[in-house]
Amino acid sequence: MTDAAAGPNGSPGTTRVSIASGPLVGPVLRRVVGMLAARADLPLDRLDDAVLVADLIASRAPAHVAAASVDVDLETGDRTLFLRVGPLRPGGGDALIVDAAVPGVGNVIEQLADDISVQPEGESEYLHVRLAYPA
Amino acid sequence: MRAHSPSAAVTERWTPVAATPSPVRLSLPARARNIAVVRRALEAIAEELALPRRLVEDMRVAVTEACTNVVRHAYTGDEADDQSALRVELRPQPRGMLVVVEDRGRGLAPSPAGGGPGLGLPLMAALTEDLEITHGEGQKGSRVAMSFAPVIEAA
Repeated sequence: MTDAAAGPNGSPGTTRVSIASGPLVGPVLRRVVGMLAARADLPLDRLDDAVLVADLIASRAPAHVAAASVDVDLETGDRTLFLRVGPLRPGGGDALIVDAAVPGVGNVIEQLADDISVQPEGESEYLHVRLAYPA
Repeated sequence: MRAHSPSAAVTERWTPVAATPSPVRLSLPARARNIAVVRRALEAIAEELALPRRLVEDMRVAVTEACTNVVRHAYTGDEADDQSALRVELRPQPRGMLVVVEDRGRGLAPSPAGGGPGLGLPLMAALTEDLEITHGEGQKGSRVAMSFAPVIEAA
């Protein structure tokens, strides 16, 4: 895990998607992330990375969220996509990262993200992920 | 409110999903580029529910129109950049989907720059099974609730 990633915090331009835990989390999140990664002008291989990260978050996050839905804030920058996942229950951020490990591959989110961090806010915490493509 | 919706007539085999998934909510700046985000989410749900293609096309048109109204008419200036300027709820139903599009601005009032909703409302009414439009106190904000369900044609 690297230093804290800058990311969306309710600032203008942020898109928030809130998906009740269940079968729609994966399909909706991967489409929205793919769309915004394309808008951020990420090249195809990094767009694929972003969708893979979205799939992992969608499959692992429901076990660690503080409420009954998976909430993700998304913001695009210059060839950069920020994701903020949460609110997560205390300890949920690190648990989500650990859960994203794939046997024989390692931790996929840590390998694909440029920055990943867990930040507490109130009684909850949020996972911040930044995917970028260097200019 | 649906008067007629020939394009939603079911000619494909379609079986309603056994369990109705819970809703998806989006909060976005009311900017034109974000309408595509709403459409993507809508398409993902429709695909997951295996809704009939013709119905999905109707939903896509009506939801795009409702969101476009918010982008064009609800806000002036930087208000549109607020994260919750455009709020959309996509709620799967046993037979189709309920979509609610909300704003906190001028609602569907004609823009000072000229031009009103035009054909948008009749179009939405024609494509939905039920259309309900409500306004906040003092006409502040609007809520457009659209119910979609496939039309079963008699044999």
